[in-house]
Amino acid sequence: MSVMRLLPALAVLALPVAAAAADPIKIGIIAENSAISGIAIPNGAQIAADEINAKGGIDGRKIELVAYDDHNSAADAVRAIQRLATQDKVNAVIASYTSEVALALEPWAGRLKMPTITPGAASDDISKRIHADYDHLKYFFHGYLASSFLASATCDAAKDLLVDSKYHMKSAVIMSEDAAWTTPLDAGFIECLPKVGLKVLDHIRMSPDTTDFTPIYNGIEGKKPDVIITGISHVGVQPTVQWANQQVPIPQFGISSQATSSTFWKDTNGATEGIVLQLVAVDSVPSTPKTVPFAQAYIKKYGITPAYSGYGAYDEVYYIADAIHRAGSTDPDKMVDALEKTDWQGTVGQIRFFGKDNPSTHAMEYGKDAVSGLFVQWQDGKQVPIWPASVAGSNTLKFPGFVKLTN
Amino acid sequence: MRGILGSRLFWGVLGLLLIAILLPLGVSGYILGVLIPAYYFAVFAMSWDLLFGFAGEVNFGPTFLVGLGAYGAGILDAETGWPIAVCVVFGTAMAIIGGVLLALPALRLSGPYFGLITLVAVLLLQQMVTVFAHWTGGEIGLTVPDVLSIDDNTNYYFALGFMAISGLILFGLSRSSAGLILQACGQDPVEAQALGFNVAKHKLAAFCVSAFFSGLAGALLVFYYGTASPGTVIDLAVGVQVIIAAVLGGRRTILGAILGAVFLVCAGEVLRPLGQLSTFVVSAFALVVILFVPAGFLGTLLHRRSEA
Amino acid sequence: MLALQVLIDGFAISALYGLGAVGFTLMFGVSGVLNLAHGGTMLVAAVVAWLAADTVGALGGAAAGLAAGMATAFATYFLVVRPIQRSRSIPREETEIFVLTGTLLWGIMIQEAVAYFTTTSPHTVRPLIAGVTEIAGVRTPTNEILTAVLCWATIGALWLLVNKTKAGKALLAASINPRGLTLLGYELSNIHLLVWAIYGVLAGVAGVLLGAFLGVSSDNAGTLTASAFSIVVLGGLGSVSGSLVAAYCVGYLETITSYLISPAYRNIPSLILLVAVVYLRPQGLLGRR
Repeated sequence: MSVMRLLPALAVLALPVAAAAADPIKIGIIAENSAISGIAIPNGAQIAADEINAKGGIDGRKIELVAYDDHNSAADAVRAIQRLATQDKVNAVIASYTSEVALALEPWAGRLKMPTITPGAASDDISKRIHADYDHLKYFFHGYLASSFLASATCDAAKDLLVDSKYHMKSAVIMSEDAAWTTPLDAGFIECLPKVGLKVLDHIRMSPDTTDFTPIYNGIEGKKPDVIITGISHVGVQPTVQWANQQVPIPQFGISSQATSSTFWKDTNGATEGIVLQLVAVDSVPSTPKTVPFAQAYIKKYGITPAYSGYGAYDEVYYIADAIHRAGSTDPDKMVDALEKTDWQGTVGQIRFFGKDNPSTHAMEYGKDAVSGLFVQWQDGKQVPIWPASVAGSNTLKFPGFVKLTN
Repeated sequence: MRGILGSRLFWGVLGLLLIAILLPLGVSGYILGVLIPAYYFAVFAMSWDLLFGFAGEVNFGPTFLVGLGAYGAGILDAETGWPIAVCVVFGTAMAIIGGVLLALPALRLSGPYFGLITLVAVLLLQQMVTVFAHWTGGEIGLTVPDVLSIDDNTNYYFALGFMAISGLILFGLSRSSAGLILQACGQDPVEAQALGFNVAKHKLAAFCVSAFFSGLAGALLVFYYGTASPGTVIDLAVGVQVIIAAVLGGRRTILGAILGAVFLVCAGEVLRPLGQLSTFVVSAFALVVILFVPAGFLGTLLHRRSEA
Repeated sequence: MLALQVLIDGFAISALYGLGAVGFTLMFGVSGVLNLAHGGTMLVAAVVAWLAADTVGALGGAAAGLAAGMATAFATYFLVVRPIQRSRSIPREETEIFVLTGTLLWGIMIQEAVAYFTTTSPHTVRPLIAGVTEIAGVRTPTNEILTAVLCWATIGALWLLVNKTKAGKALLAASINPRGLTLLGYELSNIHLLVWAIYGVLAGVAGVLLGAFLGVSSDNAGTLTASAFSIVVLGGLGSVSGSLVAAYCVGYLETITSYLISPAYRNIPSLILLVAVVYLRPQGLLGRR
């Protein structure tokens, strides 16, 4: 090899080092801006970026966000990630709260070699596919609890709050929307509810287009369960308002993503009173020392509390930056290696990902010393923590008058 | 005059085609990524123009045909893993069957009644996708294991070639004697019948041709994206976009639909930083064009020239 | 028990469908316009009612919603429909497709604007009356009863207007023979203004009631238009009584399906019925050809 041919190669080697000191770290955001759970993603990420930049950035590099609206459409999201990768040349992407969109992005993250994390999609298929085709899909990370973990959390909380309590509940009906994320959720419910002492009387899956829930509630009432276990995200306001207006005498307990935001009270004219739901974090509970300061900053900036995906997006900006710092590079493969070693205290708990050999590759760890989440109940316009006991304090379940309990 | 006009159109098309062929040399992969779906979209719009502009059928459901092609091909691939070519042929066949199903009422009904049938066909298809979520992936998506290629240039030339050939065939058809008969059938079926033309046969053929290209383009689009979802290939909003593209480009011009489609997709992309408002702005622009330049881009261009 | 429940639930939802469709069909009958921004008009009424209810109470909110529905109807007429009808460069025989495309685009603009200002999540208008009433053992929200009553009161008022007033009779005449009416010295443009005003009130009331009964989101705009369109065609284009009959067919078919089969299949039988009717009897149940 001649010196002449070596020279340009050396120049190429030298350039990025010199440039890296000044170049910002660019992170792309893909989310549905007109949905409560969607807009929380760019909002949460922006707060993290502002905080990091106010402290001088990571290794002297500022964080720059490039955000696109995907209108909750898989095709728009695919176009957005292409644009982010080839035009905006971002180093990582934070994308979507919808499992279908995340699943469509997964192979593109692989094709474009773009480290991508979803802060809000829940389907177990996300991590199962990574396990099945690790070499191609390893660039994708599941930065939110998988549906099967959400189901376990719901069963654990139901056991303490509904079965082993003064309510002594014995039976449940599962009501969930027909979507990718609820398939593993419902399977989890059907498996774990009987184990904690709740007999599953019926399992209703409704179209996310449903607007009239009257027949569903009447059907459920006919089965006479003690509780309705929910799995809803794309619907939220309508089933909640109709539950209250029709005075359905059965409490609701489970996953209701829209109810995680404080705007839900106004959206439902207060009909959400008494709804019990799972959250990864809430503004009033210091799950970690970072939770409350972030929630306060968010409320100060946007006037509402972050929806569940906002916490995830905030943490993700931090641990992406941390991974780039540890990798010492924005090379995608090195970033993936670094992200796999993530052990970051975020707003939702201690964040770690399952490794290559776990069947849920790159899924966020669930557990007491990882991310465990909590349950709250809407009471007088506020989300009051009621589970686990360590955060509930003296709070207890309080249901509206029309809910008839069998205690 | 007509010959000059024809040749001007010819040179214009040739020039644009040449630019399109040379484009990958000068622009980034991202711009190609925007143009690839725009080219498939252009085929949807040209197929629609053949039905509306020439056969005179108000078809609100271009996505019924597109969706059948897309899901037919996508589901077969996801279930069996057969080669892409086989899946695409299957999807196209499904779309042609759908086209015949649509053609039958079209022969008996007219105006808003037929329009409604096509609208309902789309809604029914969308319902089926939701109900049979086990195969279709439900609301937002079926992920197919295979893609045409991950290389931008390959995808680009494939889409461009497909659009050019489809455009050539559809344009040729529209200018052929069969196309003229079709136009006569659309404008005055009774007189066309009286002149001895078999209206039913020509309309049926128009539906089959339209379905063939819609379905084929839909199936290919699935293997470009690697995913099929109601929001991409079935939703009424997509159908509306197809209609707007054809009307913007100029009705009864076939090739105008290409301009309309490329414009719509590019405008959506340029306005992406506007976020939610991008759709609003594009719709408002299209409305203004319809109000003030109802002949569309190519229609106006050709009209001006023929006056000159 | 189940039968009674179906009867009650179906009645209210059918009344709402009917009210939503009546304005749509009246518009087509009198001025030949199919307004595909129909769902958007109802949406604006509901969302404005929801927003205003916070400051001026449920009743004031409903009034604001009604006004917003009317304003949207007039905007549709003056900004979209009339310019198309008067345009010289649009051939007469193609006016129909241009009105359809134009109102469709306008509807999308409304939907996007609403989504921008109030997000895509559904909003529920505060009901005028809270609480439930027992009807023969079936627990029914009082608001649901009120919805049905108000729907029929509005439809009744429309009937009186059309059949008992001079302006109403002119309206009826315009739907049968517009040219004859101009010979009698009526200004057709005034008739058109009147029909758009009536349409605005009907769509506004329907929007507000729908918002209080089930809630609406900007995503629903298209579905609302499609369902009104289907009901109107099922009943016979331009026939008000046909639309009401069709609304009850569809409403009960949907309710029975969701109770006896599954809520997931709710819309399918009515769509199939629609296809069957349009195939076998294109003029609709009560339509004239």
